[in-house]
Amino acid sequence: MKKRYIYSCLVLGATLFAGCTKNFDNINTDPNQTTAALINPNFFMAQAQMEFANGSSGYRQLLFQSCWIQGLASTEGYYTNGDKYVYGGSPQTYTNMIWNDDYSAEGRIYEMKNLIKGNAAYSNLDNCGTILQVLIQQQITDQYGDSPYSQASQAKSGIFTPAFDKTQAIYTNMLSQLATATAALDASKPGPTSDLFYKGNVAQWKKLGYSLMLRLAMRLTKVDAATAQKYAEMAYSGGAMSSAADDAKVFSDNADNYPNNAANTFLNNVPDWQGVRWGNTLISFMQSNSDPRISAVAEVAIGNGLTANGLYVPGDNTASKQVGMPNGYDLGGSHDISTAPGYPGATPADPSVSGDAPAEQGKYSRPRFAVYLDRNGSNIVLTYGETELLFAEAASNGWATGVAATHYANALAADMQALAELNSTPQAVVDPAAITAYVAAHPLTPATALQQINMEYYVQACTTFQFIEAWNNWKRSGFPVLTPVVYPGQFTNGSIPRRVTYPVSLAQTNPSGLAAAAADQGADNFMTKVWWDK
Amino acid sequence: MKLIVIFTVVLNLQCLANVYSQEKVTINLKSTDFKKVISSIQKQTNYHFVFSERKIPTDKNLSVNVQNLEVPKVLDQLLANTNFTYTVLDNNLIVITSKDEVVSNVVVKGTVHDANGQPLPGVSIRVKGTSAGTQSDMNGNYSINVPDNATLVFSFLGYDTQEVVVAGKTTINVTLSEAAKNLNEVVVTALGIKKEERKIGYSATTVGADDLNKVKETNVASSLEGRVAGLQISGTNGGPGSSVRVMLRGVPSLSSGTSSPLFIINGVPMDNTQRGASGEWGGADMGDGIANINPDDIESMTVLKGQAASALYGSRAANGVIMITTKSGKKNTNFGVEYSTNYQMDKVRNDLDYQNIYGQGKLGQKPKDGDAGDAMNDGSEAWGARLDGSPLTQFNGKIYPYSAVPNNILSFYRTGHTFSNTVAFTGGGDHGAFRFSVSDLNNAAVVPNSGLDRKSFNLNTTQSVTSKLDVSLVANYIVDNENNRTGLSDGPGNPNNVLFLSPNEDQRILAPGYGANGVETQFTDDNYVTNPYFAAYKFVTNTSRERLITTASAKYNFTSWLYAQLREGYDVINDKRIDITPTGTGYNAAGSMDQNNGKITEQNTDILIGAKHDLVKDLLNLDLTVGGNIRKAGDEGTRISGQNNFIIPYFYSLSNFSGRNADVPYFHQRETHSAYYTADFGIKDYLILSTTGRYDTYSTLPANNRGIFTPSVSGSFIFSDLYHINGLDFGKVRLSYSQTSGEPGNPYADAIYYSLSNSINGVPAAAYNHDQLPNLFLKPYTLTEIEAGTEMKFWGNRFGFDIAYFTRKTEHEIFTAGLDISSGYWGRYVPTGSIQNRGVEIEVHGTPVKTSDFSWTPAFNFTYVQNKVLKTDANNTTSGLGTYRPFNANTAWVVGMSGPQIMASDYVRNASGQIVFDAQGLPQGAPRTPMGSTVPKVYGGFNNDFNYKGFNLSFLIDYRYGNKILSATSYYSILRGLNKITLPGRETGVVGQGVDPNGAPNTVNVPAETYYQKLARQVSSLDVLDGSFIKLRQVSFGYTIPRTILSGTPFSSINVSLVGRNLWTIMKRSDNIDPESGFSPNVAYAGIEGTSVPAVRTFGFSVNFKFKN
Repeated sequence: MKKRYIYSCLVLGATLFAGCTKNFDNINTDPNQTTAALINPNFFMAQAQMEFANGSSGYRQLLFQSCWIQGLASTEGYYTNGDKYVYGGSPQTYTNMIWNDDYSAEGRIYEMKNLIKGNAAYSNLDNCGTILQVLIQQQITDQYGDSPYSQASQAKSGIFTPAFDKTQAIYTNMLSQLATATAALDASKPGPTSDLFYKGNVAQWKKLGYSLMLRLAMRLTKVDAATAQKYAEMAYSGGAMSSAADDAKVFSDNADNYPNNAANTFLNNVPDWQGVRWGNTLISFMQSNSDPRISAVAEVAIGNGLTANGLYVPGDNTASKQVGMPNGYDLGGSHDISTAPGYPGATPADPSVSGDAPAEQGKYSRPRFAVYLDRNGSNIVLTYGETELLFAEAASNGWATGVAATHYANALAADMQALAELNSTPQAVVDPAAITAYVAAHPLTPATALQQINMEYYVQACTTFQFIEAWNNWKRSGFPVLTPVVYPGQFTNGSIPRRVTYPVSLAQTNPSGLAAAAADQGADNFMTKVWWDK
Repeated sequence: MKLIVIFTVVLNLQCLANVYSQEKVTINLKSTDFKKVISSIQKQTNYHFVFSERKIPTDKNLSVNVQNLEVPKVLDQLLANTNFTYTVLDNNLIVITSKDEVVSNVVVKGTVHDANGQPLPGVSIRVKGTSAGTQSDMNGNYSINVPDNATLVFSFLGYDTQEVVVAGKTTINVTLSEAAKNLNEVVVTALGIKKEERKIGYSATTVGADDLNKVKETNVASSLEGRVAGLQISGTNGGPGSSVRVMLRGVPSLSSGTSSPLFIINGVPMDNTQRGASGEWGGADMGDGIANINPDDIESMTVLKGQAASALYGSRAANGVIMITTKSGKKNTNFGVEYSTNYQMDKVRNDLDYQNIYGQGKLGQKPKDGDAGDAMNDGSEAWGARLDGSPLTQFNGKIYPYSAVPNNILSFYRTGHTFSNTVAFTGGGDHGAFRFSVSDLNNAAVVPNSGLDRKSFNLNTTQSVTSKLDVSLVANYIVDNENNRTGLSDGPGNPNNVLFLSPNEDQRILAPGYGANGVETQFTDDNYVTNPYFAAYKFVTNTSRERLITTASAKYNFTSWLYAQLREGYDVINDKRIDITPTGTGYNAAGSMDQNNGKITEQNTDILIGAKHDLVKDLLNLDLTVGGNIRKAGDEGTRISGQNNFIIPYFYSLSNFSGRNADVPYFHQRETHSAYYTADFGIKDYLILSTTGRYDTYSTLPANNRGIFTPSVSGSFIFSDLYHINGLDFGKVRLSYSQTSGEPGNPYADAIYYSLSNSINGVPAAAYNHDQLPNLFLKPYTLTEIEAGTEMKFWGNRFGFDIAYFTRKTEHEIFTAGLDISSGYWGRYVPTGSIQNRGVEIEVHGTPVKTSDFSWTPAFNFTYVQNKVLKTDANNTTSGLGTYRPFNANTAWVVGMSGPQIMASDYVRNASGQIVFDAQGLPQGAPRTPMGSTVPKVYGGFNNDFNYKGFNLSFLIDYRYGNKILSATSYYSILRGLNKITLPGRETGVVGQGVDPNGAPNTVNVPAETYYQKLARQVSSLDVLDGSFIKLRQVSFGYTIPRTILSGTPFSSINVSLVGRNLWTIMKRSDNIDPESGFSPNVAYAGIEGTSVPAVRTFGFSVNFKFKN
């Protein structure tokens, strides 16, 4: 009897404890996430657009390209990477940000395309996805060179160390994919529903596709003019952007925790705001042309002393008062800013503020508060003006892309108008009459066409905070002609960086890819040129 | 505190009142039995009864109704018409006997001696079966009035209890022998099953209350450091209540996270979640679960090291098990009160040895006269001119001498203090016992404006419902509030930035840390380096926790050899955390705030059925336990962050934002169902073979792979019982083999999920979690261990040792292999990991010197562990773990080497080993190579106890060898010119010793700042330091006031101790830092240090009062 009792206890116990695992599937289901069956694949697009566009605008470019291209200048220790090609802060934290954010965004698109694969109802979404992938991959490739593309984002299929494709192969592939995807867009079918660029307007996506194709093509002017010509002409005949309304941009959304990255950087950091100024190269050039955009984009801090210089209040944007700061100077070191040629002098300490000090950069121009410190401001991705400039250059080469002078004139007007797009309530508005006058006064001259076109590309890219694009176009075109900064301890041995180093973690996560890249394009440093940069 | 004193006094008065209670009783009982009446009398009077169970009336239908009647009259009534009678002795003892038994009153006298013939005062002499009795006086003499058939029980702490039958004798002299320690001790093993320590076939070490609470650590786990072979404890330099990393027998697994063993409190698992730690991006240490336990409530902690010991806990035992037994009351004891108070002071120790020759500035120049901005640019750098005392305009515009400031850092940190008070009440009757304690710990950290306040309430009750059914309830309620947990590692919000000031910059000029407008006073051009005062006084990182840990159990004894037990353990934790980045912060002028409310639960229901029976009488014995367990664990919570700026600056409330961003409430749950058995076969008590098995099913694993069975077998042979060897009291050899399993660290790891992000300008957005690629083919991993050992005791336990050898290996470990985001994910689970630990543990103890007044008891332990990573992913990729902010080195699992290895860059060298400089004459860093493990190979401790009469002196030395540190302090001190290695070439420039890129000797002269900054950035091997040390860990000096002196007081015992901890680093090899420094308890970050709270020395005293019963 007793034995039976014990045995039944045992059996009961074992059944109760180990047996009933039926609800385990339920327990191991995350209640706060959903699965492929329910998710709307459209939603990934908005995520990727924000990740890519806003990801590119903050420290990722401010600490490097903005100063390399001498669009901005800074005496701050954090900015020595850009201003002086000398390591400052923790550079490796920031050099890999483009890589990380861009591939993250690309992964979203890959997942989206995967979910809708073979579903004809989503064909436009799929093709828009391809355009987005190319947009993102171009930024990666232009900055780092060889990089994963054909095998990227496929960990789910077992590719954990994607091969690094050669830059040339990436470009070839991107152009052909872009051609197919753009041509296949069909405005009669439904467009993407979570679209931050065009609210699902397929016709505009098509224009973006061809404008992007043009940008890709023009990158190749130095290494493969034939391909460049082929695709530039294809873009022209296909129909690229035709007005500023076609500009691709992403408005930040502070209330939903997507603050504008550039604005956030300056608003969060008084010393950045005190120490980052428009570069002398940019401002001098604009002044030499009496560019009416100066007052729209630049201002001088109001009030004396360091404290006033750091206040988040609008400054004085009178054009004649604007002075760009030269690159390569520090505060108190071997290259003190006060020793710079044409140093306008410090603003003296304000005696009414305790502990105030003179503001040594106080008389240099900074980006206008109202325009660039807007947490809801937009991130410009690709514009009609840029498209017109590249068509102008293509036409100057004798390619079948229309009339160069017309494109150039269109570009000047569009670039000036485009500044209004930086804020949802336009802040940087250039007087239409001034635009007309400027365009009339600056016709394209065939002898200086290349310089004119690319200097305008430089001004428009810098004033819309697209410093990465300005830098890429400088590498390609050689404009503006820049004098490198000389400073002790430079990581480039006295020249302006032409590449950004790979994330150091790749040495562990993808050593074979890293080795292949080094074998193909050279050492992983800031001087190695990417394939199209000769 | 005040409350506790009042409590104590009131309860003590009640206690005294009982002594003068009346001799008359009022009883109204119906249908009762004789025992209950007696019990009622005992409660109302000072009488005690002596009787034999079989010799009292058995009538179960008694009715008694008396009002204020003398006890003898009640008894007369009760015993009328029965065959029983009673006798009242003159010490209020009432003896009940049958009428034919003649009982007379005897006065027994005698003396109690110890084995050396010395009289023993204070020995308790009790009449068996009662609590009536007396004590021996100063000369060991006693006198007691007892019935002539009584049995006297002589007991004294530390001695074996002796029973003597009176049988008419009037003189009884007794010699008590000292309790033979460790010989027949019972050890609490897995599932709370008690076993004789001598018989177990694996290694287990118990640490008693004395060692845990004499010097109070705010995290009790730290007190185990150096005391147990095989156990390695590393704290976090994060202030009071910080987490500890507890490692048993090496790095237990690739996925061990904080590597925490499973903590079991009173037989059931408790939560030990690490609530957040610092990393390369900074942050504070949020503490762990074990830190909540009040050391005063702990009776003992038993460390089950081997897997054979812990196999019964299945997966969760992979990192070992530490069993905590809390103090309890004893049956048949009078109401007792114990009060202990402890006060400790912490003083920061300055390990920094920076240069004091050159001051703030750049490239050999001091900041320009009158230029505050210039001074601000290098507030934490020392690349300036030779310090000459000349006037210098500082960042604040004021003028100070350009000369070194001695002891600068020490004066920023204050003297910390910890004041803890515990009062405990105990008591017990025939059927139950209880202990209730209230404790308060109040701590002020060395970092200003930071501290901890913890209140604990502990109740432990047991009750016999019937002679077969026992129930017990243990409840531990904890309220823990920690103020301003200190930012560590990275610069933002970190008060420890004070460790990197220019030699000439007095830290006092940084105070108060903000200007008149509340804006942070910045002292360098890096606004991510927060002013230490601003970080300490304006940043907020507060946590508060309320926690209830309960264990309720019922045990039914069917027969003397068969029982069933049902047990429910429930640990519920409510956490609140508030973080505020204040208005005016340098890197975030607008400020921000968020609040996180969370709940953690851990619930275990288990059943045990145990049987102990001779299979063959006097030859083969079986001890069998079978059972099952259901575990449900989860955590959930909500986090709300303020969006946009504070509307009103300096008003820190979530209401003060234009919007709030609520993260999706997080929710994780898991369940494990298990069945298990343990069977011990004993042959004649000297050969024991044990086997256990456990079958687990995990909810976290895919349906087709949910279950795993894990067995263990262990055997022990007590050869000293079979062969007598002169001098050898006890000798045992043991051998065990065991296997346990593990599950993934996170639930929901086996499916692909998509989540919605915040909408963007009204447009929905979604993402997938790209941190971790799900794996649909996960299965439980296994950990296999073989352990062999021997234990011997000689010459009456004067000398003994325990040696264990173990080898353990994990297979199919599920761990996260790092991926590059270009693959679409940051990491993936791989079920291929394998790691091995082999080692030897030695514990030697004894009492080499022992006289009547003096004894010396040393105990030494030594551990050698060789760890080796056998496999990571399928390609054996080096798998990155943690890093520090400079990012030029990291730790990683490297196949074939011990983990975690520091991967750092040496100089670029040519084939003949010469350093190759670049064309500018600057050093270059080579690709990273393994530079040693962060986990020590050799460690242990040496404890010594000296007793002389009432005095006790003990000290603990512990040591650690063979581990490396990755030091951010080293990096920053070189980069900023603070390190002494940056002195050569300051005024002349540096020409590096080596060759140029063409192989010719390097002749390029580089300014010192340029050279050393490049050196710091490129050659991270300079930051790899040797972590070996020997430390005087703990000293205590105590005095127990003799009972004789206390005879006129309400106290039965008072013990006073002076204590000290971390007093002296006898040996270290790491410049500028304490070799134990670290900012995270995570194994991934083991050995990585920087910008954390400096090491402290602790001094204090504690007093323990026991009130007379």
